[in-house]
Amino acid sequence: MVYKRKKYHYGDTHLKKKWRTKRRTKDLDQIDEDIKPENIESLVNQQEDFDKPGNAQFYCVHCARYFIDNQALQEHFRTKVHKRRLKALEVEPYTIEDSEKAAGFGSFIQPSKRKIETQPSKEELEDSPNKKVKA
Amino acid sequence: MRIETCYFCSSRIYPGHGIQFVRNDCKIFKFCRSKCHAAFKKKKNPRKTKWTKAYRKTVGKELTIDPSFEFEKRRNVPVKYDRETWTKAVEAMKKVNTIKTKRQNAYIMQRLRKGRELENERDIKEVQRDMSLIRSPAAGLKERKAAEAELENMQESDVEMEEGIVEDGGEVTL
Repeated sequence: MVYKRKKYHYGDTHLKKKWRTKRRTKDLDQIDEDIKPENIESLVNQQEDFDKPGNAQFYCVHCARYFIDNQALQEHFRTKVHKRRLKALEVEPYTIEDSEKAAGFGSFIQPSKRKIETQPSKEELEDSPNKKVKA
Repeated sequence: MRIETCYFCSSRIYPGHGIQFVRNDCKIFKFCRSKCHAAFKKKKNPRKTKWTKAYRKTVGKELTIDPSFEFEKRRNVPVKYDRETWTKAVEAMKKVNTIKTKRQNAYIMQRLRKGRELENERDIKEVQRDMSLIRSPAAGLKERKAAEAELENMQESDVEMEEGIVEDGGEVTL
């Protein structure tokens, strides 16, 4: 009997762990929902959660990531990862509905492009609704 | 029983086939085979993967907007069986399908026509550029030279003849 001699999956535990559903992060279409103006405020100003990094006070909506303090968050905004994510969100993400349209359920509408900017800071978000109320 | 569509390649999934993934927001992603599931796990974009229907439609290779696509719908209301409606529906489905395929084929032919035009243009350009390969520029050079020489000879003789006349008539014109 011939036995398999070579071990093909030796030392790839880190890869397996990376792709576990347990470690899944938000998909682009979920983030697309998050960055809508009615949802963004509740995500930037979250309640204190002691289980999350930085007590869930420093959250990047586009990358769906928590940071430990404001400096780390601001530095993250300047990174390539964040900019790449903004670019990826420029085109409307692919959804289940799109897959059905491509299959012939209804006309297939081309995804539109929009401009994505880094989220406003907490102070700006707090100010803007107040201003509207005053005016 | 229902024939589902694959999230990645938009092909049909018949009962007993494929695998599905339920995201933690209750969205169900259905896959027709492991190829599509693996591509999803790798976070590939179906719009940029060449073998998916979504790619073919975003790039404009296939018909995208047409009223014939509006017939196939997910109706979540059960209809009571009636033989007449059933037969009528089947007839209509056949008709719709023929119309749809006809339109899709017409769209593809329309698209290919443009390519044929460009090809013709390119061919004409190539022929004009490489005309020397078809007919050598030196072809018939000897004959042409001989003809030229003959012409010159004729002209010279003419000039000689003319000179004689002009000598007389020149003074008249002046």
